[in-house]
Amino acid sequence: MKLDFEEVSVAGLAKSYGPTLALAGVDVGFKAGTVTVIQGSNGSGKSTLLWLLAMLAYPTRGEIRYGSYSVKHADELRGRIGFVAHQLQLYPGLSGHENLVLAAKLQGIGYAEKRATDLCEALALGEYWDRPVRTYSRGQAQRVSIARALLHEPRLLLMDEPSTGLDEKSTGSVVELIDQEKQQGSIVIIVTHEAKFAGVVADRVLYMDRGRIVEPRV
Amino acid sequence: MRTLHAAWLVAFKDLQLELRTKEILTSTGLFAILVVTLGSLAFYTDPISAPDVAPGVLWISILFCGILLIGRSWALERENDAVFGLLQAPIPRASIYIGKSFSALVLLFLVELLLVPLCLIFFQIEPSGVMLPLLALVFLGSVGFVSTASLFSAVGIRTRARDLMLSVLVFPLVAPALLASAVATRELFAGASWAEIVSWMRILTAFDLLFVGFGVWISRHLLAET
Repeated sequence: MKLDFEEVSVAGLAKSYGPTLALAGVDVGFKAGTVTVIQGSNGSGKSTLLWLLAMLAYPTRGEIRYGSYSVKHADELRGRIGFVAHQLQLYPGLSGHENLVLAAKLQGIGYAEKRATDLCEALALGEYWDRPVRTYSRGQAQRVSIARALLHEPRLLLMDEPSTGLDEKSTGSVVELIDQEKQQGSIVIIVTHEAKFAGVVADRVLYMDRGRIVEPRV
Repeated sequence: MRTLHAAWLVAFKDLQLELRTKEILTSTGLFAILVVTLGSLAFYTDPISAPDVAPGVLWISILFCGILLIGRSWALERENDAVFGLLQAPIPRASIYIGKSFSALVLLFLVELLLVPLCLIFFQIEPSGVMLPLLALVFLGSVGFVSTASLFSAVGIRTRARDLMLSVLVFPLVAPALLASAVATRELFAGASWAEIVSWMRILTAFDLLFVGFGVWISRHLLAET
């Protein structure tokens, strides 16, 4: 069963790693069909927020709701979330195409090979898709990681520094992809330091400082 | 069904990677040859006392090879944070544990297929009548060991002292199975029949069921947040 939701809401979200408080109480909502960019200095809690939204970590306190669903539906919700992490989370010994086929099968996509091939073509991975990922440049691997996040047509797309290592042309195709996701009604949340990239894709920009969402500095 | 299918995908990925690089089998296989060769040279006295020494050398080799192999298998998951790719999939957490354990068991058994005949040759033990029950014992002992070691490797994903933890916690836990395996092997080498070692096999099977069951149950909690 594919769960569906129109918004993601975060209430009183806090996360600590031992004595370190990474998130200190975040309240925010994200609506379908919008692209939210989160900016802030290093260690401000941006990536932690993405990890919590991706359910790869659990909050110390507070709650995240995906429409009417909560983390109690984690297994099903994971099938609706795509995550491009800063570490690309690919197997270096497998080719880009094999990484995508594995991810598609784990997502339960019946036509995994075809879906992976189609995405390879859409993201112009064709030239190197059958080479091991360890031979890729950062930008090439980044595109495979983005393709993997899009395989299962996620409702919530989380991207941590998606334009890192990409040349101008590749950044342009990522901007196009983000726009397509937005048009399809996805909730897109991006963490980036690049102001120019943020300016192009964002409907809304949030700033984080010391684990909280703050007013932008003028 | 979904759990087993996802587990198979995880295991197939591991075996596919190993088939390509042969990194784990080569390093573990060479280590196994080294331990058995050194053991046979250091402890061999005469054909009468050799069957008493051989089980110890065999099981120490299996234990060290297993730790090496499982450590390497989980290191693949830490490279590039690849395990988080698995954790993002809408699959039961237990399937990751089952898949990793299964692939490690297959690889360890392949190493054991080299190790067992080598041990018999180096300690001059007649293989006829011994080979099949010995392989059965080795298999049963390995299931318990791999299921335990994989469990602690899963925990170790987020621990810096993972190798220390693996050695310190796994060895005492697998001690009952290891002792049962070593004693059964000694009796087999001393001429015991299938029927006489069946009771040891029952103990090993009980240990295997306990640890596999516990591992499947606890892995969904251990892998819930990494």
